[in-house]
Amino acid sequence: MAAHEKPDLPAHRNLFRMILAPTIWAIHFLLAYCTAAIWCAKDLGDPDTLTLVVTGYTVAAEVAIVFLGLKMWTQWDYLDDYDYVHSESTDEHRREFLGHAGFMLACLSFVAVIFNTMPVWFAGTCL
Amino acid sequence: MTDAPRIGDTSARRDLEKHEVRVAEGTYPPTEEMLSAPIDPEESRATADRLLKAWYAPQGWRYWSAVNNSEVGLWYALTSFVFMLMAGGLALVMRLQLAVPDNDLISADRFNQFFTMHGSAMMFLFAVPMFEAISILLLPAFLGARDMPFPRLSAYGFWAFLIGGVFIMGSLLFGAAPAAGWFMYPPLSTIDEGVGPDIWLLGLSFIEVASIAAAVELIVGTIKCRPPGMRINLMPLYAWYVLVVGVMILFAFPPLIAGDFLFELQRSFDWPFFDPARGGDPLLWQHLFWIFGHPEVYIVFLPSIAVAAMIVPAAAQRPMVGYNWIVLSAVGTGFLSFGLWVHHMFTTGLPTISLGFFSAASEAVVIPTGIQLFAFVATLLAGRVKMILPMLWIAGALAIFTAGGLTGVMVALAPFDWQVHDSYFIVAHLHYTLFGGMVFPLIGGIYFFYPFIRKQRMSERLGRISFWLTFVGFNLTFLPMHLTGLLGMPRRVYTYPAGVGWDDLNMLSTIGAFVIASGILVFAWDLVRPKGDEMKERNPWGAGDLMWAHDIPDKFWGVRSIPYVTSRNPLWDQPGIVERMDAGGYYLPDAQEGLRETIVTSAIDAQPQFVARITGPAWCTMWAAAFTGGAFILPVFHMYIPAMICAVLATACVIYWLWTSTALIPEHPMKDVGMGLQLPTYVSGPSAPGWWGVFITMLGDMTAFASLIFGVFFYWTASEQFPPPLAEHADGALVLASAVLYGAAWGATRVARPLNRDGQVALAQVLLAGGALAAALGAGALVWSILHLDPTSHVYPAILYAIAVWTAVHTIPGIIMQFYCLAGTIFGKIRPTYDAPIWNTVLFWHFLLVTALVAAFTIGALPGML
Repeated sequence: MAAHEKPDLPAHRNLFRMILAPTIWAIHFLLAYCTAAIWCAKDLGDPDTLTLVVTGYTVAAEVAIVFLGLKMWTQWDYLDDYDYVHSESTDEHRREFLGHAGFMLACLSFVAVIFNTMPVWFAGTCL
Repeated sequence: MTDAPRIGDTSARRDLEKHEVRVAEGTYPPTEEMLSAPIDPEESRATADRLLKAWYAPQGWRYWSAVNNSEVGLWYALTSFVFMLMAGGLALVMRLQLAVPDNDLISADRFNQFFTMHGSAMMFLFAVPMFEAISILLLPAFLGARDMPFPRLSAYGFWAFLIGGVFIMGSLLFGAAPAAGWFMYPPLSTIDEGVGPDIWLLGLSFIEVASIAAAVELIVGTIKCRPPGMRINLMPLYAWYVLVVGVMILFAFPPLIAGDFLFELQRSFDWPFFDPARGGDPLLWQHLFWIFGHPEVYIVFLPSIAVAAMIVPAAAQRPMVGYNWIVLSAVGTGFLSFGLWVHHMFTTGLPTISLGFFSAASEAVVIPTGIQLFAFVATLLAGRVKMILPMLWIAGALAIFTAGGLTGVMVALAPFDWQVHDSYFIVAHLHYTLFGGMVFPLIGGIYFFYPFIRKQRMSERLGRISFWLTFVGFNLTFLPMHLTGLLGMPRRVYTYPAGVGWDDLNMLSTIGAFVIASGILVFAWDLVRPKGDEMKERNPWGAGDLMWAHDIPDKFWGVRSIPYVTSRNPLWDQPGIVERMDAGGYYLPDAQEGLRETIVTSAIDAQPQFVARITGPAWCTMWAAAFTGGAFILPVFHMYIPAMICAVLATACVIYWLWTSTALIPEHPMKDVGMGLQLPTYVSGPSAPGWWGVFITMLGDMTAFASLIFGVFFYWTASEQFPPPLAEHADGALVLASAVLYGAAWGATRVARPLNRDGQVALAQVLLAGGALAAALGAGALVWSILHLDPTSHVYPAILYAIAVWTAVHTIPGIIMQFYCLAGTIFGKIRPTYDAPIWNTVLFWHFLLVTALVAAFTIGALPGML
């Protein structure tokens, strides 16, 4: 099978790569929260600008998450052998497992970042 | 966390500094012939005898010096169960007081003490320690390991927990218990003139230290002590949850420790961190508390779901549907749960937009939480379910937890929360989540794992009686509370007037509480009653994980030989594995040197890396815990000198423990572990569990430090003028000198490591001594730079003092470690090729350098920029 001949790189053995997307969610969350808190405490201007700034963070975060998600999708390589159970003790199964889990975490992070931008769209006020 | 290169790969033979190091040699993975080779029964008996001798259990009164995970885990679990019964008893008294209006069974003050201790004990003395206890007990068995990587650390954690728990619960007997609620909000708690808040702060800080110790142990155990072949995609789901929860503890508990640190400085020395009159802010405590407090809920919930994740496949008799989905939801919940903390603070007047972020994250966390429940349901649908007793408890848990989750979605909406905040609706919600998310799965788990723990069966009949009593009683107690809350009854009132519509509902809750109590007592009786002979059958549930290869009667060696694993459910998929394990046909069947050993494998692919020599029974851990207890408990009574003496003695015990039993120089650098594989007996740096222990501990420590720095920014955003316009500042020249000295101390330590490796031991010794001197001077300069400020005058000098004190105190272990290495090189404990302590010291110093530089920047430069 072609899958067995694929290279197994150090990046494919990296647990931190799997959790990079939720880490981006965490950074986005903190940035949005801190920006809003400082904005409101120090009176930095009208809330519409705040909405723009936070939406800007969101665009940047989502681009990074999509990029990572694609990388993880490639590592999972589902369309190669339609394998979604990775229960063998082989390099291939471990690589696809980390890719699969990382891809799903990227999807979750994508949605969670949108959740955390909605407040500035619908409730963008310091009051 | 990338994995080590393959066995046989030449690049594996050099460490970070391009030095030759020893690595595994020989055949791996084992060939088919090796796995089916016949085993000589004579030899098997001889090796079993030697192994048993190495893993003896101490007899008589020496039994208490045991450090085996099977003993420590059991004591730990029973102790926290006893604390749970006590905390439940407090709840019963409260329910009696509330049964009828205008009751005067107990006084208001006693009622305050009871609800404070009920919450604190259930959270700190039961929920979290119980997770750690059960994991210490079960994790090595799931992983086919002999023991945890640091058995004495578990024992130390247990004794610390016992001392701290008895101290805190004991305060109830003297009517001196904390009474300001389990979250201890200032200013109520800072102006309290009794010792209650101090008992809470210092006692629980002490227990938090024990919790972090256990978390370090569990994380290292999960990533380094898996059996060969058990790659990360084959880990039992329980291990995934333990890993996630361990990491969560590391990031959740330290903010509370930082908060406790500030709080106690205010209580003892009047530094005004939470006093608005002098620039402080009580909300900072709320933030630090809930940054801990909300993840805590998930720290409690996930391990119980982990138990469910082991019971469900056994009940359905098929592998879990959606292993990947469960990993996703465990990791995803771990992350998202850190974005929820302000939903406990919706009524504090924060800007709407801030509330929005936390409301949104609180709704988002439902996604991963829901996914794992669906995976369970899918597994049950796809399998042929045997309704075994543990599964009954899990089913009850799912029903109750889901109801709690639904009210959780309601209170996550800020406007709804404004209506029900601090009412009995919240009491109902939190009990539905915690009882359904923790107590039911836990009891189900105990029924499930009891045959492993005690080699006997619990009663099916008593178990069903207990379940129905608890389940009915629970709903009888807490379902009406939703209504009581919506009718306006506030939490934490010791009595209420008649005729406002709360009377009957309260009576119903009180009756229900006693029904729960009867259910729990039936369970407790079933737990302790004599049960006759040991059972014959090893795998009563027909489960597929390695745990059920256990020995009956129990042997203290953990496993007879460490298997080579190629499946998620080895007992189902690898025929003959149990027989071969028993016969000593896998790795490490022998203990030629009479030492306790286990195999350490690589983090991702579980390739064998080295043979770890594990510590055995000892008293020094108990002494260390006792003196640590003194160091935390005596300051409650303002006995600072005895407390310091205790701290010194605790340090001495720990140094003795490390020096005499860790990183011992082996009699031979390589060891044959069977099946044609030779492994090193000593490693330094990132392959060594000790290095990971330091790394993980310091990650937690950094989180606490970051919380202090967060405090500075918080004061800046929360007040009009921070620092105040006419404030005096730190002495810039001294701060700069301190930063330079810390840099020098770090550099000297860092350079000493390769010098020692190269054999230039004398030069390394000079650098270590010089580094210690520079560190001491650096700490001195930092403290001196702010000595002219008055920390009681305003929160600005106070927070600078707190940061300087924090950094200076952390310098003490830095210096001790430098001297430890110096002494090691002099007395032959450290040699050029056996240098693990130096690696760990350098790692500690990386973190200390960051702490010192950030502290210097915050004290010296930041105030000018704000």
